Amino acid sequence: MRKILLILLLVSALAAGIFVAFYLKVPVLPPAPERKVFIRTFEESRYQLVVEGNPYIIKGVCYNPIPIGKNHEYDWWSDPHKPWLVDGALMQEIGINTVRFYQAGQNQEAVKAVIADLYQQHGIRTIMGNWLGFWEYPCPFYGDKDFQERVTKEVLEMVRLYKDEPGILLWVLGNENNYSCLGHVNPWSNEEIDKEPDPQKQKKMRLRIYYTFVNDLARQIHEIDPDHPVALGNGELIGLEDAKEYAPDIDLVASIIYRGKTFGNLFKSLKFSFDRPLFLAEFGADCYDAYKKEEDQNMQAFFLESQWRQIYQHLATSDSGEGNCLGGVMFEWTDEWWKHQEASPDGWTVHDTGSNWSNGSYYFDIKAEGNKNMNEEWFGLVGLSEEIENGINKRIPRKAYYVIRDFWKNPDLNPEKRKKK
Amino acid sequence: MRNKIIGMCVLAMVVSVTAAFAQEGTVSSESLVKPREFVVYLDKNSRDNHYIPSGWMGDYSDIRMNDQAADNPHSGTTCIQFTYTPKKAPSQGWAGVYWQNPANNWGSKKGGFDLTGMTKLTFWARGAKGNEVIQKVVVGGIKGTYADTAAVEMGPIILTDSWKEYTVNLAGKDLTYISGGLSWVTTGDLNPDGIIFYLDDIKFVADSTVLPEAKKSENMPFYVYADRSSPNNHFIPSGWMGDYGDLKLDIGSKEDPYLGDTCIKITYNGKATQGARWAGMFWQNPPNNWGNVDAGFDFSKATKLTFWARGEKGGERIEEFKVGGIMGEFSDSDSSTVGPVLLNKEWTQYVIDLKGKDLTYIIGGFCWAANIDNNPEGAIFYLDEIKYE
Repeated sequence: MRKILLILLLVSALAAGIFVAFYLKVPVLPPAPERKVFIRTFEESRYQLVVEGNPYIIKGVCYNPIPIGKNHEYDWWSDPHKPWLVDGALMQEIGINTVRFYQAGQNQEAVKAVIADLYQQHGIRTIMGNWLGFWEYPCPFYGDKDFQERVTKEVLEMVRLYKDEPGILLWVLGNENNYSCLGHVNPWSNEEIDKEPDPQKQKKMRLRIYYTFVNDLARQIHEIDPDHPVALGNGELIGLEDAKEYAPDIDLVASIIYRGKTFGNLFKSLKFSFDRPLFLAEFGADCYDAYKKEEDQNMQAFFLESQWRQIYQHLATSDSGEGNCLGGVMFEWTDEWWKHQEASPDGWTVHDTGSNWSNGSYYFDIKAEGNKNMNEEWFGLVGLSEEIENGINKRIPRKAYYVIRDFWKNPDLNPEKRKKK
Repeated sequence: MRNKIIGMCVLAMVVSVTAAFAQEGTVSSESLVKPREFVVYLDKNSRDNHYIPSGWMGDYSDIRMNDQAADNPHSGTTCIQFTYTPKKAPSQGWAGVYWQNPANNWGSKKGGFDLTGMTKLTFWARGAKGNEVIQKVVVGGIKGTYADTAAVEMGPIILTDSWKEYTVNLAGKDLTYISGGLSWVTTGDLNPDGIIFYLDDIKFVADSTVLPEAKKSENMPFYVYADRSSPNNHFIPSGWMGDYGDLKLDIGSKEDPYLGDTCIKITYNGKATQGARWAGMFWQNPPNNWGNVDAGFDFSKATKLTFWARGEKGGERIEEFKVGGIMGEFSDSDSSTVGPVLLNKEWTQYVIDLKGKDLTYIIGGFCWAANIDNNPEGAIFYLDEIKYE
């Protein structure tokens, strides 16, 4: 009788285990040694970010608080008025839990203070990036050993400096640097590439060189800092078939995506090209209607709410999507008034309504002159006022700020369905 | 009792007639009796006709119409004869006719009928010789202030020399306001020598056996371009980009086509007319659709797009050939590219790999792009046999 009971108990325990594994989506892989931040893998390439033992959805914003009248060279990290404290409070109020910096400032102590203030005072974690020399003149020589060594030194120095800051969430290597391999932006070459007559093969060679370099960086970062994942900052999904081959040490993909109200097949395509978890490292919409020539906060709010809905549909915990999305980082927190007339200091004090580029996915104002509908100076979730408050330009939250707050409080993934009821 | 029966019959007839002629805003009685048919055209003088063939489009001076042709009508005493004689140049290259209500209503006047309950439009057609090609027929689709609530296309249609019935499936469509009863459109490319064709007995029908058409995946091969006059061609090379003033397009070039009578010749003069220093061309459905019209094809069955290309001199560099990638309110579901490509002087086949791509919705069927930096003196190149497989 005892034996039967024992067998029954064992069978029950086994059945319970199977139930838990299959229905409660526990990881199919044995848990890695508990790291501060890591990615949990479920069946069918579904992924979840875990921070200090808890699931974490990246609800983030790109943060580059350049005041009116300054440009990108301004060292806001050292601003005595600490704009991040005002901004951190506003972010915390709506549920933002992450900021993304494209690259750390020169003043290391100031950078540490910003990371610490945001985390300790507002619970906001930091995604820290590095450009990998993408904007160096005349171009980023990824095929040159000296260039690679210099960038490697800079990146590893960044990791050593900030890895023990409690607010650090993960690292991002590059930002659309893959476009340089296709010759779209900052094209580069070397002797080996120049000898190859077939331009398709040249492109492949550049992708191999670049992704191999990024992979070396990721591997070295893991050795120094096993506690934080390393992301590949990639424009769209372009080139990721090659990253699959040459960058196996990358933990996740940080894609820059501007596809309007939906992300289309993004999440499914990633599984085909480079099966890694994804967070949207840049996405969003501007709030200026270039066709009607007037501010349109409804337009921005419409796109952002729709984009967040898609992000939530593809989280590991959602039944409806691909399960490989970890969250997103909106572009961006404040407007930046220097962007349109970058070379002219006079333009930095003007909230320019000109547009430099076109994107049909943002279709409300695509009939603008020359189809140029993307207004770089109007992407902020909060606008800037020329009025000074607490030593900084006063922040004016836009409609999207409140719409996103409400979405995060009660994520409604099927609003149309509910309307019909 | 007999009087009561006669009275009820008269009442029923009145209700039927009222319903049949009901227009938007005057359809209160329509829910009582649903007509089984609603006529667009039966015979020249039929009192049942509801629309007028007044909307002449494109190269309308190339069209002749005889709406009381007595030459072998399908039924009754007359049918409509159309003669389309495309001029060589200059022209838009296409022509067509809309049946409208009231006449010449392009959406500026109220005149739509509430055809709720109708599930198909049927018509009979024949060509004078056979093999005449109608590019498409459209039910509804009038835009403007008073826009039709539906636009349903069918085609291309290759006519035979004897009468044949054709059907446009309307099941599941919103037919509450239709002022464009039917239109036909064809092109000079499809009919370079002109055509004569006949239409008869055009009517909407309430047939409960007709079910809404499921969005179907297109069968392979699916041609973008076979030959200038091929009815199998799909998409229109309407999306000229960048320095569009630098481009010349000849879709009927007879300069050594790879297959058939013609190929596509593209001349890019590299003068940077618009200052962009690059140029390109999208094949779109319908023409000029940059994602603002919901009209994507489902190519789920395709694994590749193949095409043949050659350069006038050899060495012309095309930055990319592409499938999909149009972004708008109705974006392509995916994109795939091949390139950069250095063209050979001889015809060479190229393949865009589509495996693993989401091709459920494609409005940008094919595209190329080139730039001045790599073609300082411009480029002349040829394309042929562009198809999904």
